[in-house]
Amino acid sequence: MKKSLIPLLLFTIVLHCTAQAQHTKRLLKKSIINHFFTCTLDKMFDTISVAYQIPIFFEREQIQKMDVANHFFEESLEDVFKYVCKENNLQYWIENDGTIYILQKPDDLPRLRQQNQLKKTGGLVKPKHLELAVNPPTRHHFAIHGKVSDQNTGEALPGATVKIRFTDLSTMTNTDGSFSILNVPSDTVSVEVSFIGYQKDIFRLNSKNIDSALVFALFPTMNALNEVEITDKKTGVLNTDSKKVSVLQLNPTALDKLPNIGERDVMRAFQLMPGVSATNESSSGAYVRGGTPDQNLVTFDGFTVYQVDHLYGFFSAFNSNAVRDVDMYKGGFSSKYGGRLSSVTEIRGKDGNKIETNIGGDLSLLSTNIYAESPIGSKSSALIAFRRSYQGPFYDKIFGQFNSSATTAIPSGRGGFGGRGGPGGGFGNQTTPSSYFYDINAKYVYALSPKNTLSVSYYNGHDNVDNSREMNIPAFGTASSSDIKINDKTISGNTGAALKLTSTVAKNLTNNTILSYSGFFSDRDRTNTGNVTDSGTTTTINSGTLEKNRLRDLSIKSDWEWQATSKVKFLYGAFGSNLNIKYNYTQNDTSQLINKNNTGTIGGVYTEAEIEPNDKLHIQPGLRSTYFSPDGKMYFEPRLNLTYHFTDEFNLKGATGRFYQFTKQVVREDVAGGDRNFWVLANNSTIPVASANHFIAGFNYETREFLFDVEAYYKKLDKITEYSIRQEGFAGGGMPFRNNGGTATLTEDFYNGRGFAKGIEFMLQKKMGKYTGWISYTLAQAKNQYDVYGDQYFSAPQDITHEVKSINMYHLQRWSFSALFIASTGHPYTAPLGTYSVTTLDGNKVTYLTISAKNGERLPAYHRLDLSATYDLLKIDGHKVGSIGLSLFNVYNHVNSWYNEYYIRNNQVTTTNVKYLGFTPNITLSLKWK
Amino acid sequence: MIALIASCKKENTVDNATKPVVIGYLIPGQSISLRVYSQKGLSDTATYGTPITGLTPSVSDGSKTVQLTDSGNGIYTYNDLSFVSSGKTYQLKFTYNSLPVTATTSVPSKPVGFTASKTLINLPTGSTISPQATDSIAVTFKWKNPDSLYHVIVFKNDDSSPFNIHPQFNAAVNFTINAKKAEYYNVYYRTFNYIGIYRAILWSVSEDYINMLKTNANTSSQRLTDAPTNIINGYGIFSGMQSDTIKLQLTQY
Repeated sequence: MKKSLIPLLLFTIVLHCTAQAQHTKRLLKKSIINHFFTCTLDKMFDTISVAYQIPIFFEREQIQKMDVANHFFEESLEDVFKYVCKENNLQYWIENDGTIYILQKPDDLPRLRQQNQLKKTGGLVKPKHLELAVNPPTRHHFAIHGKVSDQNTGEALPGATVKIRFTDLSTMTNTDGSFSILNVPSDTVSVEVSFIGYQKDIFRLNSKNIDSALVFALFPTMNALNEVEITDKKTGVLNTDSKKVSVLQLNPTALDKLPNIGERDVMRAFQLMPGVSATNESSSGAYVRGGTPDQNLVTFDGFTVYQVDHLYGFFSAFNSNAVRDVDMYKGGFSSKYGGRLSSVTEIRGKDGNKIETNIGGDLSLLSTNIYAESPIGSKSSALIAFRRSYQGPFYDKIFGQFNSSATTAIPSGRGGFGGRGGPGGGFGNQTTPSSYFYDINAKYVYALSPKNTLSVSYYNGHDNVDNSREMNIPAFGTASSSDIKINDKTISGNTGAALKLTSTVAKNLTNNTILSYSGFFSDRDRTNTGNVTDSGTTTTINSGTLEKNRLRDLSIKSDWEWQATSKVKFLYGAFGSNLNIKYNYTQNDTSQLINKNNTGTIGGVYTEAEIEPNDKLHIQPGLRSTYFSPDGKMYFEPRLNLTYHFTDEFNLKGATGRFYQFTKQVVREDVAGGDRNFWVLANNSTIPVASANHFIAGFNYETREFLFDVEAYYKKLDKITEYSIRQEGFAGGGMPFRNNGGTATLTEDFYNGRGFAKGIEFMLQKKMGKYTGWISYTLAQAKNQYDVYGDQYFSAPQDITHEVKSINMYHLQRWSFSALFIASTGHPYTAPLGTYSVTTLDGNKVTYLTISAKNGERLPAYHRLDLSATYDLLKIDGHKVGSIGLSLFNVYNHVNSWYNEYYIRNNQVTTTNVKYLGFTPNITLSLKWK
Repeated sequence: MIALIASCKKENTVDNATKPVVIGYLIPGQSISLRVYSQKGLSDTATYGTPITGLTPSVSDGSKTVQLTDSGNGIYTYNDLSFVSSGKTYQLKFTYNSLPVTATTSVPSKPVGFTASKTLINLPTGSTISPQATDSIAVTFKWKNPDSLYHVIVFKNDDSSPFNIHPQFNAAVNFTINAKKAEYYNVYYRTFNYIGIYRAILWSVSEDYINMLKTNANTSSQRLTDAPTNIINGYGIFSGMQSDTIKLQLTQY
């Protein structure tokens, strides 16, 4: 009996909470007009307003200049509005209070709204405001719980503020968009709900709706970027959460306002914020506060993602059309997360539209991106998104950047420019390679009951990078020639799937249980096949190396949130993973030089309390304990996070904690074919479990328009690993040893060391208005020490001393303009100082480089300016259905160095400077059906 | 907070660019010849850098220290043929740019029982060439190695203009094979690119010499490392060694 009532109740609540705007929309759709209008437009709106009891607001002086002379016959009111607005170059917009605003330009809305507020009494028909409480309060001090969602799509809105009006009781929705508030004073109070990019709304509680799950559905604002009216809400593309320590939030819907190189990229967007390095164009992975990308935990809908980029690192593995929101924790993160030393990036995928079917996509010079989302029945929704790159001019440019075979001899040692002397550079015929990537995201969400939701999320990404080429070596005066195909193919990808059950066990207790699978593979084929014709005889050649890295991660985790009292919330849970990592290095099809196959189980529990003893202090102590099977040890990670609200504007914040990492990505050096990354599992001997201690302190000063944020950090790292692999019989420049046998032997070395990273970040952000943006400066240092290189600390490869970022966005009607300027100290590198030659016992001479102190030199400073202009495609009713964007990357074509390469030929060293991208324009067209 | 950011320390106390390059092989029964020169610029095409003269290098065997004579072209010699002998440890010492440059090496014992399975080797011709043929063993060398010494086998062609049977490979005439600590070594047919008279010289060498030759120096600025050297405050090699030779005749018909 009770069960059957719940859906009904839910239905009435939804209806009730969003009555006004929905009412207007329904009226527009259902009311059929049969009328002959010959009057000024203002008179027509007045007539309709009174006849249908719809509040319509417009600027009379302008509108009365427009005339209408038309016979509407059996037409819906909506079509009439569309027709007259189109005829007169106007737009209409339905606000959440049900008022229809008639706009001449999109930016008129805030002004009209303000005028409407002032002249509230003047309108012919007043919008319905919050209804008064019908009865006197009957219930006191009870708990409410529910969800905040988007009115148009049904998508949950995590991070929305839910506040009991005229009290201090407020909370934020969690990652599922749900909330609970204890000790609500009475059942007649109203609840204020607000969220970035949505119209603030007020909902009245009553004795009936408080017992079931409330659903507060918000209407989007007309344009997410220029909402000057909404108070105390940030409206930027990227935000810092001033209540938390070192947290960045991103909502991808506004990403088209920023310049992009090829694809809107959620990972790259974070690089615009302080503390995330922006000068690694070749990696979409995040270098957070002196950490490396493998120290950043990336999860998508709960499964861990082991490869976060596509196509030489230029593009993020995540399709922004499938992403709902992203949080990045730059350090000192909650005990809910573990297994990484530096940071956490949590990506949540869209659930799919629960209200209506929609399709959309993006078309750029690099790729096509399409998605479709739809409700399926009344209880479920689905989304599918697909992306594939193609070989356009932009692709060719990037490919050329990484594979240019032109090398330039530089007479004066260091410096100078040229392409990369890539594999096979210099001779032979290079066939056009066919590299591409694609990825698929799919999600299905099914509401088992109002309290239980099941969702399945699937991701598959695939990269095929093919540098294979054919060589024809002509005969040198003899009857021999060769046709050799040099295969250089890397196929890599990720598959991830998660099954998630979200339950509201009680009003103050929620649970998320996720069963997930994540697989990563990377195969490299560097073999030579072909025929050598020598004196009339043809020989088949088949040699080279094959490399395979496989990672499989089967995980389960259960996260619980218990709002124990209005001042204390407990987060706790358990997790377990079974990891299998294989690394296989085969030569000439037969001999396996390295064959690693490691399996490990990681399991543990965590607990955390969010305590707010008063309205100023927020303390968040936590503990995570993990058992790691390969070494049979327990690892304990205490965490502490606190903020103190001195005043409404001024906050102090601090965090500390201990962090362990059990899987590491190491680099296999490869002289001829480029370095390769692969994942390894810590063991009890050569690869220890790495650890880090974080210490973070900062403050921010936040007003309605501005945010000034300062954070300093110190991060101590221990047992970090470098990998070195030396293949004997394969020599560098001088070929000192003849490779006699068919097989070579490899020596592997894992060098273990320690390091630290410290820095201070400053950011000044203008949060609202026509002009928004921020300027940030970071002063930082990251150093490592490995016993094998001596007892001195040297600059880590990712060490950047100074970094300045200036992000500027200007909004004008349908246009958005942005300018990004990024400048930083160059990366450290190890430089050759000179050469020397040694005459060996066979009489040959071998030339060696003499090397500067490790990472003792700096590449030239990095800087670039990116510009973009975006034109929003708006429908007559003000809804955005797409955009056209022009991006100009590195506008003044500054040559930014990536690294240098040195070739020893005949005692002489040739230096080539490998550059990052120069000036690159791109056009993106984004469209959606609704 | 600001105090967290310490100033940058100078990372390097010895300037690698001014370190001298030293090459010295100690072979019993031969005079000592030490070559000392400066590093070359990266684009310098000369074989060696500028010779360093005016040094006073000494070599000590632990009980006796001898001064090497400056020949004026960066070469320092000592002509008492009896000074270097098997089993002893020698230390080289001199001062350059006010820094002590030192190196230590032991002279391994002379190879014993060096034999070849055959000394007349006929390489596969065009009609018999096949992966099976080139991948098969041409000759096996054996020697005694009770002390697990490091060995290399050096192949030197004695012809005035050696005939290259694989001109497309542009291989060096003379070459070295790393035999490591083994007591035998199989050489495959494909290893030979020239025909004529070869000397197969088995050298017992120090580990430092092996390390220097087996390094695969990386060429990317992202991860350059110095080649291994046993010269402290310098580059190059100071190694004791002894040899035994077998003469081979290579043909192809």
